[in-house]
Formats: sequence, C-alpha cells, structure tokens
Amino acid sequence: MRSFGVTPHARSSIRVWRWVTVSGHNVALYLSLGVILVYCAIALFAPVIAPFDPFAMSGSPLAPPDATHLLGTNDLAQDIFSRLIWGTRATLILGFLGAAVSVVMDTIIGIVAGYYGGRVDEAVMRFVDVMMTIPAFPLLLVVTIFFRPGIYVTAVIMGLFGGLNGVRIIRSQVLTLAVSDFVVGTKALGAGDGYIMGRHILPNILPLVGVKFVTSAQHFMLVGIGLGFLGIGDQNLVDWGQMIERASQNGGIILGLWWWLIPPGLAVTVISLALAWFAYAWEERINPRFQVMRV
Amino acid sequence: MRLAYVLRRLLYSALAFGISVTIMFAILHFMPGDYITQYLEAIYTIAPPEVVEAYNHAYGLDRPLIEQYFSYLIGVLQGDWGYSLSYSRPVLDVVCEKLVWTLVLLLPATVLSAIVGIVIGAYSGWKRGSKADIVLLNGMIFLRAIPSYWLALVILIIFAFYLGFFPLGGYVSLSALDTGIDPLDVMSHAALPIFTLFLFSVTGIYYLMRNSMLMTAGEDYIVTARSKGLDDPTILWRHAVRNAMLPTVTMIAFQCARMLAGSIFVETVFSWPGLGMLTYEAIEVRDFPLLQGILLIDTLFVIVANIGADMIYPFIDPRVEVGS
Repeated sequence: MRSFGVTPHARSSIRVWRWVTVSGHNVALYLSLGVILVYCAIALFAPVIAPFDPFAMSGSPLAPPDATHLLGTNDLAQDIFSRLIWGTRATLILGFLGAAVSVVMDTIIGIVAGYYGGRVDEAVMRFVDVMMTIPAFPLLLVVTIFFRPGIYVTAVIMGLFGGLNGVRIIRSQVLTLAVSDFVVGTKALGAGDGYIMGRHILPNILPLVGVKFVTSAQHFMLVGIGLGFLGIGDQNLVDWGQMIERASQNGGIILGLWWWLIPPGLAVTVISLALAWFAYAWEERINPRFQVMRV
Repeated sequence: MRLAYVLRRLLYSALAFGISVTIMFAILHFMPGDYITQYLEAIYTIAPPEVVEAYNHAYGLDRPLIEQYFSYLIGVLQGDWGYSLSYSRPVLDVVCEKLVWTLVLLLPATVLSAIVGIVIGAYSGWKRGSKADIVLLNGMIFLRAIPSYWLALVILIIFAFYLGFFPLGGYVSLSALDTGIDPLDVMSHAALPIFTLFLFSVTGIYYLMRNSMLMTAGEDYIVTARSKGLDDPTILWRHAVRNAMLPTVTMIAFQCARMLAGSIFVETVFSWPGLGMLTYEAIEVRDFPLLQGILLIDTLFVIVANIGADMIYPFIDPRVEVGS
C-alpha cells in the first residue's frame, strides 16, 4: 500500500508495540510468526514426532502422564500426546484451506464490485447484505450433518458460507483505487478491465488480503474445531475438537484428568492467539488509517 | 422516504428469509438417501418400499419439483415447520419454547457486553498507546483467541466444580419439583453461561469501539471542544463517545449471529435448555426437521436484531432519521 517506505508518522503508528519492540523490529510480529511456523512443522512431521499411532491402543486406559505417555492415555488407551501432535494437521487444514477459499472469493467479488462501481456494486453489496443475515454456523451444521463431508470439503464449505464479510473491506479499498490516477492512466493507454484488475489493483490490495487471510484462518480454525467438539468432525482424523469432546463427555471433568482436557484446548488457544497477534501487528504496519490518525 | 426505507428493509429481510428457506429445500432435496425413508426408519427399522411410496404420494413428493418448492414455502409461512422426530411435537412449538430460554442468556449478555465493550473500548481508543490501552488491547486479543467451548469448560471446572460457587449445569435445582421455579435459583444457574457469553462477545464490541474512537479522536469538533477549554473526561464521554458509538451499535446487531453460534457451545457445556443445546441434541439424534427449524428461527432472530438496531439508531443520534 505504501510506496514511500516508512515515514516518521508510520513509525510512530506502531507505538502500541513499543513494549515488545527491540531495535525497530516488531517482536510480536516475529514471535507469532515463529509459533505459526512451529505448528506447521509439527503438522508436517507428525509421523516422526508422535511416538504412537494416534488410533492404536498403546497401554492401559486413563493412565496419568509418565515417561512413555507424556500426556497419559484416554479412555480408549490411545496416547494423548500422539493424538495432540496429529491433531495439528486437521487444525491447520481447516483454518488455512477455509481461509484461502473465503479470501479468494472475497477478493474477486470485492475487486469486481469496487472496480465497476455503480449498478454492479449496488447489486453485489445488496446481495452481500442479504447473505450476511443468514447465520453461517447453523447453516454449516445442517450441511455437515446432511452430507457428512471429509475434512477438505468441510473446510471449503466453511470458507464459502462464512467468508462474505471481507467483501466490504476489500471493496472499499478498490473503490478508491479505481479512481486513482494510475488506474485512470492505464485505462487511457487502452488496457482492458481484466488486465487492470489483475495487474494493477490486485497487487495494491494484497497486504490487506493477507491480513484478512490470517484473521480468517484463526476464525475457521476455531469454527472447524468447534465442529469436532459438537461431534460432527471427520471421524477418520484426529482433531482437537473431538479430543476435547471425548475428554469432557467421558469423565475428563469429573475425574479431574487435566492432562486429557487441557492440552488440546491450550493448543488451539496458542495457535489462535499467534494468528490474532500476527494479523494485528501486520495490520498496524499496513493500514493507512493508523497513519492518517496521527495528526 | 421513511416508508420507502421500511419497505426496502422488509424486502431485504424477506429475501434473506426466502434464501434460507430455499437453501433448506435444496438440502432436503439433494441430501443422500431420501427424506421419507429416513423419516420412516426413525419409526420402523426397515421401511417397506410400498409404504415409502404411499408416504411420498401422501406428502406430494411425487409432484414436480417447482410445485413441491412452493408448497414447502407456503407451509413455512403458515407456521408449518415440520414435525420433530425426537420431540414428537411440531418444530415451531419446540423452537419457540427454547428461544425464550436462549434469550434469558443472550439479552443480559448482550447488554452487559455492549456497555462494558463501549466504555472500555472508548477509553482504550482515547488513551491510545498508553499503558492502559496496551494492556486492554492485548487482553482482548487474548480473550478473543480462546475458543468459546474451551473457555466455557474451563470456567465450569473452576467456578462450579472446584470452587462450587455455582451449580454444574441445568437451569433450576431439583427442588423446583416441589417448590416451583424460583427466579433466584434460575439466576444462579444462568450466571456462568451469561458470564461466558459476555466474555465471548465483549471483545468484538471493544474492537469496534476502539477503532471507531481512533477515527473520532482526530475530528475537528474534538479540537474545537478542547480549544473551548473543556476537560478531558467531558470531551471523551459527552462528545467523542456519542459519535463513536454509532457504527458500533450497527455492528452489535451483526454480532447476534456470532452470539447464536457461541450459545450453541455455551449452552451445551452448561446444559442450558435453550436453542443452542437443542441444536446439539438435534445433531446427536440426527433430527433433521428440527435442525431446519433451528436454522429458520436463527435467521429470523438475526433479521429482527438488525431491524432493532435500525430502530434505536435515531435515539442515539438525533441527526439520523430512520431511512436517511
């Protein structure tokens, strides 16, 4: 968005992060990025890291943590630590695939509406208004129960239903870009609409789209794991929602087995927090509003 | 102008509801297996083909699709939302009864989070970059990152299980069987779910209010107020907040959909007999007609909340007339 490097104003705009800022670098940004990358690595190398098959019986049921079973075992004698490691995969797939679908959809709709403006814009925005009224989560529940999709389809459906709220933000950026000098100039040179939208407008809104992607990923992760918690996750996979559900339904609370109940919830919270922090720190850097505000 | 606006608003609301109904119809039609067989299998173990056919004919499922669609639509408008398999009662009855209990949680939670969110959001945005702002902002980011279901479980374990301050779940104690429902008893059961829902929704309102405040703080009239010699609290609470509140109120209505999703988890964890737990039960026993009813009532709920926000808008900002 900015093409003139970091101005003094922009520098002071990241003042909120001063307490975690070391020599001009935004530690919150890198710390959260680090956490996200660690999760990705765990997901990628799950078979290497996990000591047991997450579905296999690997000892006595409901065993407390010890050297072999770092987090004990559940009521089916499955190793909780291994399940936790494998669950990272489901979480990341749900979050990032869902976010990718919704962001691509939002970006295309937002660019088209903002670029053409007028009636197209009016029609698209009214449509978005109407769709926003339909509660996405109950709809997702109904569809998931009817069609019992696997994890990939679930993620795509989640992205399609829960995504439209980003259209507004992207569109309002595109509206300003569409009347800016360089776009008008390119048009005067005879460039086609598709070329302008793809080569000139898209690159300018990419930072915004990136932030939207990260916030969406956080949102869809929580939603996807929520499906598992409600008992309608993909049964062929381990996911943290199903782990929490199992623990809370089969004695985890009553017996006070914290190593069964706490780790999956904590794992979700940490990645979710990392994504939220990352998005916020990133937005502080790119959002022009934060710079304009410093008068 | 006003009338035109009300009409347009009604049209969009009707459209949203219509789309919901259409989606329901499409799902029913395209779902794997057919509805009647599923329905009959809830009664028989195996549905005989001739019975299935007879039912198909009786319910008009052998008629053209478009005819079926309109008869479904008319049925929904007339209050015929189908028949719950697990409750053996009309869906509309069940759903309306549960809606009341959900509102017992949602209304206090929404009001509470609106007030708290607006106050601390305004303060945080006003004192931008201060220690208080940093602590509040990061606290809210943290709170928002915790999944509601897990938050509910942890709150339940700490306050009800270990500390024993509140009951573990349900909406009344067993003694209600003898003495009738005591409002105080209901309140002690409702306290933790309301608190959880409050934590769940206050973050969103805080964000919006803080952002809105950041915009407002740079306006000319704030500078004017300051140059008149007004003290900081007066400018903040009497000038800035009143203006910054406007976009937030609109968004509170939009948040209703999020609250409904949150209440599914919160009610399930606390065994609160509202729409949320009904959703969970309907999922567990695969009560399809009930689930559709829940989706329809959720849509209606969000529509009403949006209209409600529009109606109170002029009271907050006298410059705004409904429809302008």
